[in-house]
Amino acid sequence: MILLLPLLIPLVAVLALPLLPGDSVLTRQSAAAAGLLQLLSGLWLWRHPPADLTIPWLPKLGLNLDLGLDGITLPLVLITALITTMAVLAASSEQGRSRLFYALLLSTNLGLTGAFLARNALLFVLAYELILIPTTLLVATFGRSQRSSAAIRFLLFNALSGFVLLGVVLAMGWLHPGGVSFAYSDLAADQYTPVAERWLLAGLLLAFGLKLPLVPLHGWQPITYSQAPTPVAMLLSGAVSKLGVYGLLRFGVQFLPDTWAAWSPWIAAIGAITTIYGALNAVAQLDIRRLVAYSSLAHMGLLALALAAATPLSLQGAVVQMLAHGLITALLFCLVGTIERHTGSVMIPEMSGLMNPYRGLPFTMGLMLLGLMAAAGVPGLAGFVGELLVFEGSWVAFPWPTLVCMLASGLTAVYAVRLFNRVGFGRLDNERADWLNTTWPERFPAVVLAALLVVAGIWPATITGFSEASVTPLALRHTDLAYTASAAGSQSTTAELLA
Amino acid sequence: MTPPTALAAEAATKPLIPPSTHRYADIIHRLEAGGSMLPDTPENLMQIIGIYKAYAVPMDFYWRDLLYIAEQVFLNPLPAFKYFISQEYLDRPCSYSGDDSKLRIWRGGEKAHPELLQFMERGETVRMPKLLHHLWHDRVNMEFAEACMQAMIWHQGMGGRFNDYLESAAYRSNADRAIKAYFKRNPLMLGLYKLFPEMFLEQVRQLSYTANLGLFWEVMAPVFFEMSDIYDEGGFKGVPDAMNFLVNGIFAVAGRPIYHHVFIDGECLEIIPKSEGFTWLYEAALPYVEAVFYRTAPFRGTKSYNAQAGQVPADQAEFHYGILYADVFPVGSAGIPPTLLMQDMLHFLPPYLEDLYRQHKRGEDDQLVQLGVTFQRSMYNVTSAVIQALRCALLYPLDDPDPEHLLANRRFFESQLDRFLRPEARLPQIQTQDYR
Repeated sequence: MILLLPLLIPLVAVLALPLLPGDSVLTRQSAAAAGLLQLLSGLWLWRHPPADLTIPWLPKLGLNLDLGLDGITLPLVLITALITTMAVLAASSEQGRSRLFYALLLSTNLGLTGAFLARNALLFVLAYELILIPTTLLVATFGRSQRSSAAIRFLLFNALSGFVLLGVVLAMGWLHPGGVSFAYSDLAADQYTPVAERWLLAGLLLAFGLKLPLVPLHGWQPITYSQAPTPVAMLLSGAVSKLGVYGLLRFGVQFLPDTWAAWSPWIAAIGAITTIYGALNAVAQLDIRRLVAYSSLAHMGLLALALAAATPLSLQGAVVQMLAHGLITALLFCLVGTIERHTGSVMIPEMSGLMNPYRGLPFTMGLMLLGLMAAAGVPGLAGFVGELLVFEGSWVAFPWPTLVCMLASGLTAVYAVRLFNRVGFGRLDNERADWLNTTWPERFPAVVLAALLVVAGIWPATITGFSEASVTPLALRHTDLAYTASAAGSQSTTAELLA
Repeated sequence: MTPPTALAAEAATKPLIPPSTHRYADIIHRLEAGGSMLPDTPENLMQIIGIYKAYAVPMDFYWRDLLYIAEQVFLNPLPAFKYFISQEYLDRPCSYSGDDSKLRIWRGGEKAHPELLQFMERGETVRMPKLLHHLWHDRVNMEFAEACMQAMIWHQGMGGRFNDYLESAAYRSNADRAIKAYFKRNPLMLGLYKLFPEMFLEQVRQLSYTANLGLFWEVMAPVFFEMSDIYDEGGFKGVPDAMNFLVNGIFAVAGRPIYHHVFIDGECLEIIPKSEGFTWLYEAALPYVEAVFYRTAPFRGTKSYNAQAGQVPADQAEFHYGILYADVFPVGSAGIPPTLLMQDMLHFLPPYLEDLYRQHKRGEDDQLVQLGVTFQRSMYNVTSAVIQALRCALLYPLDDPDPEHLLANRRFFESQLDRFLRPEARLPQIQTQDYR
């Protein structure tokens, strides 16, 4: 039952927040406390791994409360709790309609945690769909000037994603060779017909490709990230996007391995295109939020490449990169929010000299430099570990897409330097530089995220260690072995590889 | 019919010349009324007097050390300890303060200011050997003083006859004598002097400017100390009073000789003798204001001019680094504005300025910037004093009844303010208190 704790904490908070008085500080503290408690419960579960939990819910439909944790989902639950807490703390202390705001944030957290803990595909879909409602409301209600169009676009793309996923999951359950079942253990055990696998994987790629997103399904992402309030952008980029990667890993790589392997060159190509497209667009952006959004897109492509390669190393890299990317984008959006709150702008041409030690935002810009360096894969920071594992793991399978991704990773340094050169250095405008310095409570979320980036970079075993055992069995290729199963490969080969 | 008494009253109130149409007409009218470029507000008065005091203490070190370098360190090829001023120069009586001074401007003592001596002992850290204070940069930043001197020699010819004299045969002969006397026991340096005489002469010219600036600041430090004391006693009623004190001071010491003596083995060698007749106003004050306030030098690496090759533009519009134009925000990690001076002044701020800074912007966190803006205001007031002094010396009284004379004054003021029409000039900003 202890497995229910990470779900119950946000659930209770969501139900309790509306009952609090309309004091935004108290509401924020309560929401942060819920996030922190969830994080602590996650850490406790890490130290005391629980057994899987099954509670019958609607057994006739195949919908049970099947919950479980492994080396892939535990870090994702932890990062979700962490980013939620930091997002709450990064919100303005004078957040309007605070009870609604934080309740929606925690509802998103609840959906994410439920999806990661789910061991039942229908339950996963339910949680997946649950996320759509609060995030859309958050963007539509609390977003910036173009929030309506951003929310509509987000809703359309993600509703399509959810709808397709529902269809795919129902088909998976109904077409299951061993009888109707949505349990992960059943879905992983048996093989679908090649035709069914192809249709299912096509649906999964569409559904999760929209969520990640991957080019050309990314139309919602830049505008949503740029129009969403800072905490929502942190959560969307840092945690929600990981749901797409996790979905591809779980449903694609694990449940449909043969077709995944057969289609993997195309998936790798899409990953490479996404990476280079995102990086090039990031170079061209004038709005820092959009720059970070495109940077995030580029890193999603990297994850697609890693999943396509499906070697032990690349899958390990994907997990690490998911965590590193979560920390990096959450940090960057948090810092952009701070910059906007103080300077009133996020437009690169309107800013310069923010590194100025007296009237600029040197602390914020210092952390921004750290975040950009981590995004560029500078050694000693978490991004380096993830990218190195992805590149090394993918190179044996797809050298050309890997090369393109490496080039795009180099472009990260280009837009990072460009951004920093224009915004951080140069002359601080006397007329505009009339803002106060950041306070420690403001800095706290960014400091925590930055510290974790450094810790994970210096001591990568913190994030690679506990995922290795869960990731390795999912590998379809091994660095010393070519993939031997054909698209219609025998069950024994796949089972052997999965073992 | 208008009664004759009304006509007389109208004539008395009617201005003798029409209003100025200059972009800075308001400021010109203020100057014509005997005011300063800096608006007359109690806060402005408080800011400028407070900063004069904070400036005067390090300036007391600057002038003493500049003269020490010019007169004692001289051509030392390894002048690592040139900022380690001797006790003799710390005790050197200032010519304008103390009981024995010929013209007493400040009522205080003639030796180094007590606050300066206290700071030299402890710095902003703890009492430790002078070398450690030096290496830790916990000291008065003589680099700023030297940068001002270098700006003067770099721009050359900013007024007076001083610069031309440095090229004269008499100067070369005096410098030659001093160089040979200084290196008389050093055949290596004498050999080098034979090979590269101009290199050594150029060093001596630089030292002559060092002496020039030292003698200039020897006057200004007691002036600022006295202004601070008068303000503390409630003596100044407004910014124009402070400016007029400066104007009077300028005239009082205008004729002070500017010279360069060097002491070698106890013997005084006159490189620029007092008999040459160089004066404080024309050979030091005006070149200083022109070179340091209006021009200064671009940060090294941003532009490159070879002064010896005559590449430094004569046009003032080529420069906007002087305090009247400078952006007080440091750019990146390097500072074009006089950040070292701000750091020096920070140590000697009067309590009322510290309180003021705490109340605005980022309080103690950006005191250096607020202090820089105050310094900018105060130097606009000093420049106003120089402009009024020049008007006094070259043109007509402000209450002259002849409209032609007033128009001549008007043209002079307008020509002076034309120099601030450039967008970099901070004159418009200092007109409001919001600029901090």
